[in-house]
Amino acid sequence: MSSFNPYTQNGGTILAIAGADFSVVAGDTRQSEGYNIQTRYAPKVFRLTDRAVLAVNGFAADGNMFVKKVKQRLEWYRHAHAKDMPLRSIARLIQTMLYSRRFFPYYVYNILGGIEEDGSGAVYSFDPVGSYERETCRAAGPAQSLLQPFLDNQIYFKNQQPAPGMSHPTHLPLQAVLALVIDSFTSATERHIEVGDGLEMYIILGKGRGLQGLEGVKGVQELTISEDGERIFVVRRELKKD
Amino acid sequence: MDHFPTNWGRPRNDMFDAYGTYPIHQRPDNRPKDTFADSVQRTQQPIVTGTSVLAIKFKDGIMMAADNLASYGSLARFKDVQRLHPVGRYTVIGAGGDMSDFQHIQHILEEVQIAESTQQDGHELGPVEIHEYMSQVMYARRSKLDPLWNSLLIGGFKDGKRFLSYVDLLGTTYSASTLATGFGAYIAQPLLRKAVEGHEDDLTAEQAQNILEYCMRVLFYRDARSLDKYQIATITAEGVNISGSLKLQTSWDFAENIRGYGAQTQ
Amino acid sequence: MTSIGTGYDLSASTYSPDGRIFQVEYATKAVENSGTAIGLRVKDGIVLGVEKLIHSKLLVPGANRRIQTVDRHIGMATAGLLADGRNVANRARDESSQIRGLWREPPTVKELADRLALYAQAYTLYSSVRPFGISTIFGGVDKTGPSLFVVEPSGVCLGYHGAAVGKGRQLAKTELEKLKLSELSMREAVIEAARIIYIVHDDNKEKEFELEMSWAGDETGGLHVPVPADLLAEAEQKAREALETFE
Repeated sequence: MSSFNPYTQNGGTILAIAGADFSVVAGDTRQSEGYNIQTRYAPKVFRLTDRAVLAVNGFAADGNMFVKKVKQRLEWYRHAHAKDMPLRSIARLIQTMLYSRRFFPYYVYNILGGIEEDGSGAVYSFDPVGSYERETCRAAGPAQSLLQPFLDNQIYFKNQQPAPGMSHPTHLPLQAVLALVIDSFTSATERHIEVGDGLEMYIILGKGRGLQGLEGVKGVQELTISEDGERIFVVRRELKKD
Repeated sequence: MDHFPTNWGRPRNDMFDAYGTYPIHQRPDNRPKDTFADSVQRTQQPIVTGTSVLAIKFKDGIMMAADNLASYGSLARFKDVQRLHPVGRYTVIGAGGDMSDFQHIQHILEEVQIAESTQQDGHELGPVEIHEYMSQVMYARRSKLDPLWNSLLIGGFKDGKRFLSYVDLLGTTYSASTLATGFGAYIAQPLLRKAVEGHEDDLTAEQAQNILEYCMRVLFYRDARSLDKYQIATITAEGVNISGSLKLQTSWDFAENIRGYGAQTQ
Repeated sequence: MTSIGTGYDLSASTYSPDGRIFQVEYATKAVENSGTAIGLRVKDGIVLGVEKLIHSKLLVPGANRRIQTVDRHIGMATAGLLADGRNVANRARDESSQIRGLWREPPTVKELADRLALYAQAYTLYSSVRPFGISTIFGGVDKTGPSLFVVEPSGVCLGYHGAAVGKGRQLAKTELEKLKLSELSMREAVIEAARIIYIVHDDNKEKEFELEMSWAGDETGGLHVPVPADLLAEAEQKAREALETFE
């Protein structure tokens, strides 16, 4: 008798890129199982605070439960300390929460994006049992193998030789990052059956930074709650549904 | 070394100690074992099962359909089973998968509703709450590796809002304007999407029922675990209405022309 | 009570030499200080009525309900300590749920009242607990029809056509006896119940009171629910009129 398998894979892909003073976290909205599209709109990216966004990918039921529990812990933190938890602390919290289930893991790849206390844009990526590191960019999910080499090339300038006397920039401007994100997802949609339907991009801007890079972007919706701090926006785009 | 003198020099059968060669306290026990002797068994498999449930949004609310069959493997075991179950005044829950687990779900929902209603605070559970509750129950049970072996569709209408969502034995949830479980996810879902997506606010109850009836018919033709007796649940501002048993009109004339199906000899 | 001060009234686990358990009798006293609660078992259902004394004008109307719902089809009214009533109601809900789980059918009022009688009786056995300071009227409709039971602090449980507990129970019982309970309809019973509560209420001694009423039976589709506001208002109106001509 085959035993019950408590896991499944629900497709979709997530991606985050950090700038000098901003961070972008994106994910598609398709949820699937095998060849079935379960729904065309199931968010995978969640606002945690005004300066932290979490993207989850893998087993959707675990993902939703995990986000629920992280949000709960952040609320308790607010009640205890009357402020939002800093990004690096959220990252460590996520590690301990994931590792606490080391022997019955949340089958979820997490990417946390936002602004650090020093004002820099940051991305943290996790494996299902809590190993994590801070990075400039990361893609996860079934289309990771399509996106990560592209990002390595475009953001870390891997396999690119700078012009004589020049050097590669360490951070890209917001406009360029948004273009890369959109291109990444349209490409992944073309080549991976589990990616598509819709794209949600969360953009977190550092304190006092202007909106440069967001002008002219269609359908920007602000989600910021508190004033005089980091600002957070979401942009939605359609992706091919086939 | 066996220090029991009566055992010395005797033949020994380790499966059954016919000669009583063992001292009583270490005599082999080969009696038939109790069903649960190998510790508690949690993981199960569905036994008596229901097949697809279909549900769509339409202008005035939600419409759902499920046939009346509960199968025992490939045997059509129970042909008068209701798989659409009203929960309170605003919600219907439709189930595929194990029917005894579904009965258990009906029971816990009854308990929850009584617990809520005895508060007499004027609050009633709507489809949103029922779905959240069922998601937590299903996820908790899968996390105990003791799942309730069902795919559930939860549809409802409360406070002027339609609600339609799914949850299954893994605790996976999602919502969409058309949903189908089981074989229906393969056969009916594409048909439903074509007919409903983009028309959720225009479809009349009659059109919605026609779409569901069409899909139920296709399922009856194609799904070997389905039945031509089915029910339709409609949830609108007027409340919950679950139809009596409806019969699908089918035609099997074409079968005559299929080689190996009809009466042809060659 | 000549035996007071002899030491036999300090614990529910000790009899007095003449075979009494004083803690139980004191609990009964707590019930007698409370506003009256009545229950009527009639042709097609049951009606519960409570004279809820308002001990402060600052209280929100409808607060501190003394009629509670145990299961869809069963309600209870208490006379005595309000908090004990809450505890018993919660226990009753658990018992009801347990009976349902066992038999997969709604419990009968008798089954439930019997269980709560056992519960009340257990609180007369130990020195570490005190008996409940309430008498509870359980009323509802089940497969046997309408039924009404009273559970006393001692753990005694008896069925009635009409029941009254609390301060005005004597007068209420006299009034109930005059009625042909098995011929009344639920609606008529509501009117009578309201009238009795109004008669029983002692205007001179007591402060304000709120009339709290619920019913279960054919009129309510077998559910235990509060009596609708319009019917309650009508009943109160008639009760006040009847009061004029009483005695």
